[in-house]
Amino acid sequence: MENKVTREIFPRDARKSYGLVELMKGSNPIVKKEPEDTVYTWPNLIMIELICALLVTAGLIILVQFVHAPLRSLADPSTTPNPMRAPWYFLGLQELLVYFDPWYAGVVLPGMIIVGLMTFPYVDTNPKGVGYYTFSERKFAIFNYSFGFALWWVTIVIGTYLRGLDWQWYWPWSDHLVHMNPALVTLVPLHIVFVNLLHVSKDVGKALCDLLFFAYFAVGMAIPYFLMRKFYDAMGGARYVVFMIFFLSMMGVGLKIVLRLLFNIKYIVVTPWINV
Amino acid sequence: MLENLKEKLTKSQVFRSIFRHGFPDNDMNRAYVVFSNVFLHVHPVKVRRSALRMRYTFCLGGITLFLFIMLSVTGIWLMFYYTPYTGLAYNNIQDLQFVIFGGNLMRDLHRFAAHGMVLFVWLHMTRVFLTGAYKAPREFNWVVGVLLLVMTLILSWTGYLLPWDQLAYWAVTVGTKMASYTPFIGQNGPWGAQLGFLPTNDIMFMLIGGTVVGQNALIRFYVLHCVVLPLFVTIALAVHFWRIRKDGFSGPL
Amino acid sequence: MSTAMSGTGNQDSLKDAATPSDLGRRKFMLAAGWGVVGVTLAGSTYAAYKFMFPPILYEPPTVFKIGHVTEYGLGVDERWKLKGRFWVVRNMRGIYNMISICRHLGCTPNWFPDQKRFRCPCHGSIYDVHGNVRGGPAPRTLWRGQITKDPVDGAVVVNTVVRLDPNPSQTPQGLWVKEKVKEIKPFWLEHSPPPGASCSSNRLLC
Ligand code: HEM
Ligand code: FES
Repeated sequence: MENKVTREIFPRDARKSYGLVELMKGSNPIVKKEPEDTVYTWPNLIMIELICALLVTAGLIILVQFVHAPLRSLADPSTTPNPMRAPWYFLGLQELLVYFDPWYAGVVLPGMIIVGLMTFPYVDTNPKGVGYYTFSERKFAIFNYSFGFALWWVTIVIGTYLRGLDWQWYWPWSDHLVHMNPALVTLVPLHIVFVNLLHVSKDVGKALCDLLFFAYFAVGMAIPYFLMRKFYDAMGGARYVVFMIFFLSMMGVGLKIVLRLLFNIKYIVVTPWINV
Repeated sequence: MLENLKEKLTKSQVFRSIFRHGFPDNDMNRAYVVFSNVFLHVHPVKVRRSALRMRYTFCLGGITLFLFIMLSVTGIWLMFYYTPYTGLAYNNIQDLQFVIFGGNLMRDLHRFAAHGMVLFVWLHMTRVFLTGAYKAPREFNWVVGVLLLVMTLILSWTGYLLPWDQLAYWAVTVGTKMASYTPFIGQNGPWGAQLGFLPTNDIMFMLIGGTVVGQNALIRFYVLHCVVLPLFVTIALAVHFWRIRKDGFSGPL
Repeated sequence: MSTAMSGTGNQDSLKDAATPSDLGRRKFMLAAGWGVVGVTLAGSTYAAYKFMFPPILYEPPTVFKIGHVTEYGLGVDERWKLKGRFWVVRNMRGIYNMISICRHLGCTPNWFPDQKRFRCPCHGSIYDVHGNVRGGPAPRTLWRGQITKDPVDGAVVVNTVVRLDPNPSQTPQGLWVKEKVKEIKPFWLEHSPPPGASCSSNRLLC
């Protein structure tokens, strides 16, 4: 309230209305900008918006001359269309459901994506790159965003083009009308791999898996802490932990998909309650 | 003659009680038109010249907003014929598609504007991300934005059920079944059964008002889709735009 | 207190005149006020929550009279899938039914007689004739519904809300439960095999 009143930021001009008001110091979007830098909203901005709206309307009206909203047969609980595809924006989710249990792919992961997105402005401490496009000043942040959404779009492409009858994997050149035999692979939890390879007991195998799982997070947390001290110092402890949890989980999702596709690993960690 | 009539009209008490100022062809009236109009005054009276640069925002947020308005309008038209009853919904949609004049157009526009809105929300978010516009002091607006994104997706999903066709039924069956896997409060989720959740009392039952997707689910989704979510989106948008005005636009100087 | 009130009503003078007991009372009033607000909020939240749970449902029928065992051949019979959402399976030892709801996210799987598998079109779960999971993301085996004999006319009655859901053990082949565990009353009816059927030609159903 008791802001210091500063006069004469720019010379007063009796013909202008701002000559009547007091000028104050404070943070305001327009402070330090000369009034001459601005133009009237009407008609400059309003016209741009109007043109945008007209273009979008025209585009949509042209579009619906060629494609129409689908309407399948009446809802029928006894038969599911084959394959059943979710709308495109949920196909990524549908594809993730193949790799993870529903409590994770359907509930926890979407929740983490939402919360993760919300934490963005609070963990990104880089003050640079506001108000213009830049890659070189914010490499890591842009990498993260792109990686996450690349994952999302890749799974959408897989769901749209590479999945066919019975949600099997179909290459673009394979016949999409023939039911393929299920792939003759069996998915196994990781601890069975250890049992077979290292000839240890099941419990030891499971313990190894748990260890691996925690080691992934622990080592992931530790590496930047020790090796990239600047990165840690810039963020501070709390931000660092929050960021790393989301970061490592995101990378983990990619890793798990790769393990599944290449080595047929079903679960990494198996517990009586949850499997990941 | 015509000039005379125009003169009479614009000088009349009725006209002047509605339009408080002359046509915005001079600076004073250009200022008036923005700050005396409830819809236009989301804008500042003057904007920085550089803020008009299309290659900064690509008008993505604006297009998203416009699509939302378009969805509201086409949606209201559809509501005149749609009954949220499992025995009628599908027939109503067929009627709209095949017999009602303009029904097909409204339905197609509604559907593709919905797809477009999802796409443009995402593009807008990407734009905001790439220009670092979420950094202080605009952190909170980013959070509001994420809420808008989530609500947009839920709007699409709830609308998906309404035609009551095979696509609708199964997308929603799968989607709501996922809710039953919620940890602690879903019957299938980790620790859900241990905490006593059954098909008849868990979160999925609450969502669809029954144990299978049926009449209760349809009416619930209808209410969410046509009333609750649009209202919430509108409120969130008000906050969104208010924050842009208060925090200032991030654009180039 | 009263002297303060008769003053200017200024915050500071109010504070000055407050005795310790006044402060205590104010603290109490504040706590009580927030308490009332809290209780009201909690109560209305609970009421809203209750409101969303209908105590009465109008859902499709779940009990079906499906005729006599002898009307069904060996193997999976799909004739009730449309009306009742279940398959009837007859093996060499008797008859049971499986609910045609995928245990993953509730789609309706299809039966492929040539592959001897149920396969789900949503995320690719695969089940065998016994309902064990042979692939895909399904976390449990297919449900078996209650199956009994009508005491009056001896017809088989299926009730699809009473379901058998044993805890599956994970084997390298999938999620698997022994037949012995599942072929129990009231989810299974013992019956002699159809004439002419032999174990050697129907190993899966043996
Ligand atoms: C219903 C959906 C949405 C609508 C209608 C909407 C609308 C708008 C509009 C019209 C603007 C002005 C600038 C522009 O056109 O780019 C804007 C700015 C902004 N939006 Fe959104 N938005 C939506 C969703 C989102 C989402 C999903 C996010 C991010 C997660 C977001 C974050 C922001 C931020 C931070 C700004 C300030 C940008 C700046 O100052 O440069 N909004 N929004
Ligand atoms: S619903 Fe059957 S595999 Fe997902």
